[in-house]
Amino acid sequence: MTASGHTLNLGGRTVPIGPRAAGAAIAREVRSMPIGLRLWIGGLLAVLAVASVAALLSLPPGWEVFGTSPSFEWGLMIVAYVFFAIMTSGLCLASSLGTVFGIERFRPFEKRHAILAVLSLSTAFLIIALDLHFPVRMVFGAVLVPSPTSPMWWMGVFYGAYLVVLLVEVWSMFSDHPRIHQWACTLAACVAILAPFTLGAVFGVISAKPFWFGIFTPIMMVASAFLAGTALLGIVFYAVHRLRLADHERSASIALPSVRLLLAVGLLIVGALVIRQVVAGLNGTVPGHREATIALVSGPLALQFWGVRVIAGLVAPALLLLMPMTRNPAGTLAASILVLVGIFADRYSFVMAGQIFPTTTAAGTVSYPYASYEPTLVEISLFVGGLALLALAYTLAERYLDMGETDVHVGINWPWVRRHDATHDPAHDHDILAAGSPAPDITGTSPAPVDVAAIGLGAQS
Amino acid sequence: MNEQPDGGAPTAPADATDPADPAPAETPDRASLVPLDELAPAISVVSKSRRAFLGFGLAVTGGLIGAAVLARFVPVFAEELDPASPIVPTYDPASKQWTFVVDTATCIGCGLCVVACKDENDVVEEPVCTRTWVERHTTTTDGTLYVDSPDGGIDGFPAESTAPGAAGKPVAASHFQPRLCMQCADSPCTSVCPVGATYHTDDGVILVDTRRCIGCGYCIVACPYGARYLVPAEPGAESETTPGIADKCTWCYHRINQGQLPACVEICPVGARKFGDAADETSEIAQVLREQNPQMLHPEFGTKPRVLYLGPSIEEA
Repeated sequence: MTASGHTLNLGGRTVPIGPRAAGAAIAREVRSMPIGLRLWIGGLLAVLAVASVAALLSLPPGWEVFGTSPSFEWGLMIVAYVFFAIMTSGLCLASSLGTVFGIERFRPFEKRHAILAVLSLSTAFLIIALDLHFPVRMVFGAVLVPSPTSPMWWMGVFYGAYLVVLLVEVWSMFSDHPRIHQWACTLAACVAILAPFTLGAVFGVISAKPFWFGIFTPIMMVASAFLAGTALLGIVFYAVHRLRLADHERSASIALPSVRLLLAVGLLIVGALVIRQVVAGLNGTVPGHREATIALVSGPLALQFWGVRVIAGLVAPALLLLMPMTRNPAGTLAASILVLVGIFADRYSFVMAGQIFPTTTAAGTVSYPYASYEPTLVEISLFVGGLALLALAYTLAERYLDMGETDVHVGINWPWVRRHDATHDPAHDHDILAAGSPAPDITGTSPAPVDVAAIGLGAQS
Repeated sequence: MNEQPDGGAPTAPADATDPADPAPAETPDRASLVPLDELAPAISVVSKSRRAFLGFGLAVTGGLIGAAVLARFVPVFAEELDPASPIVPTYDPASKQWTFVVDTATCIGCGLCVVACKDENDVVEEPVCTRTWVERHTTTTDGTLYVDSPDGGIDGFPAESTAPGAAGKPVAASHFQPRLCMQCADSPCTSVCPVGATYHTDDGVILVDTRRCIGCGYCIVACPYGARYLVPAEPGAESETTPGIADKCTWCYHRINQGQLPACVEICPVGARKFGDAADETSEIAQVLREQNPQMLHPEFGTKPRVLYLGPSIEEA
């Protein structure tokens, strides 16, 4: 990297750093974009502008810009943080099948998942920083005075480590350090289980909130994470396929069918856990558990639970994955969007149901029969702004980074990864898939038509 | 298709002898043909970058460990860890067994305790957030229990319960229940705080360090007695409490370590709130403990509260 006058030589590219030259370069770049991309980025920037105002409003501590109260202390900001944080883990869980276990079918996730994971986790951190009144104290307090009795402290440890591992993963991927990359991917997959599990434990240890309390909360968190990450990959790979972005052939032939398979598995697991949540809650003996579950299934939360969480978020995507006519990229996109909406509704109704039936008066306020919480415009803007930030940053990454997957190779062959010496060839994957069965038939409802072991040999030695 | 035995991976014999695949013979050959001299620059580049990477990791880890060690010697939080010392140097917290007893049979629901607490501790007026409050528990003749606490009981109570659905129903029984932080021995708030901002003093009182609290609200959702809240900002108000941090009753810690009673105990006109050092056997509180056997409210929460109750609240619980 060298700097001379008004330009900066960065890895062989000349980047103007003078204000006028940089402005002209940006203008040239914008003019070179297709109109659709310009509109997309413009729209996202507009949303971000609104969110920036909301962020400024939320900065002074104690201002009543959030709809929370002592009886409903955790609101949409916590929901948004959990949503983005678990999505990060889900991306790593879904892609670990390719990056860690060497299953060739899941290899196309490799670069894109890592970029998405870094961006999603950064968004989660930004949102929690805006929710906390004194985020800087958290960084210093948590490092200088460890509180190992607090699950929230452990969550900070694991998610902090996670960000470091993800950054190493991205760096090693683009700078071609295959062995470090392999280590980082494997570590990221391990932390991808630890981190959402600990996030679940943040809720799961609170005996004062019986709906949250218990071991199934962390399990649900990991399962939702897997589903959310897979759904995001589905949306991104549909865009890659549709917009003919880098490596789009493999997107349609391998990535999208793999997303369908993983979505089906995730929907089955999460569906079972939701049934358990309701059945256990309705038969709950701890005071407040049954009442909170009733609020969820037939009280103030019933519409979002049945309408969004169950029908739109579980049943509809399952049908889309099952029906032959929707076993195509567009069907996968629709299923992925619905799953993501369902996961958001799940996180929202989970955080709400935990607090909606207060078992005590809170700081002098009696809430009967239910505590009430309505997210304010500031909170909604910040959540939507988080989505826009993720979308904008990813769009830029997709445009300016080399997202072709073919140059990502395995540096270390873990004992569980079988090697072969055939040169990696995207067309080769396609041939194998095509020979096994037409790609659209790959769903979780029938045995995988392709011998996964047979194509899971992509390690190049 | 081919497999190589690697780290104990099973090898199918048929694959290993597959004549169609020339790869097994090629790989070792290729490696053996490259002279070591030619490989040396590449190896040094790889090891240099790895060394740089490891060096960076070591520097970061060393920095963090160094900061943690330094924090032990440099008193970053020293004055906060010993909050009692600047107030009364002769006060010995370890010798105290502060105990709070509330007699719900005596309380008349006048709300003076709430007023005194807000005044003494500079608690914000609006919106309603109180360190202590009074509830009215009304049981109607159909056996339903209604709880109301208009504005935390600060202005007393109207004749009829303000709880939704209670209006017009004949009342079978009613009592007032003053509430405050229970100063639990096994407190969830202290164990969940991610930065150690809320802690037990040696004399068993739970305090919040206003300079360390980050305002995450975890202690508030974890408290089964609803004793905590985040301090709201009062526009234009000259408040000593920092907005955005967790706050709760401290049993007027600044008063009790100077030999005074908590403000709510001092002002109570009927003596429904009793406070003292149970370690002093001649004190009133020790006598109450010996003779009247006050009980915990909701012992099923398992937090071992240090505020004990007498009267109908115990029968109801």
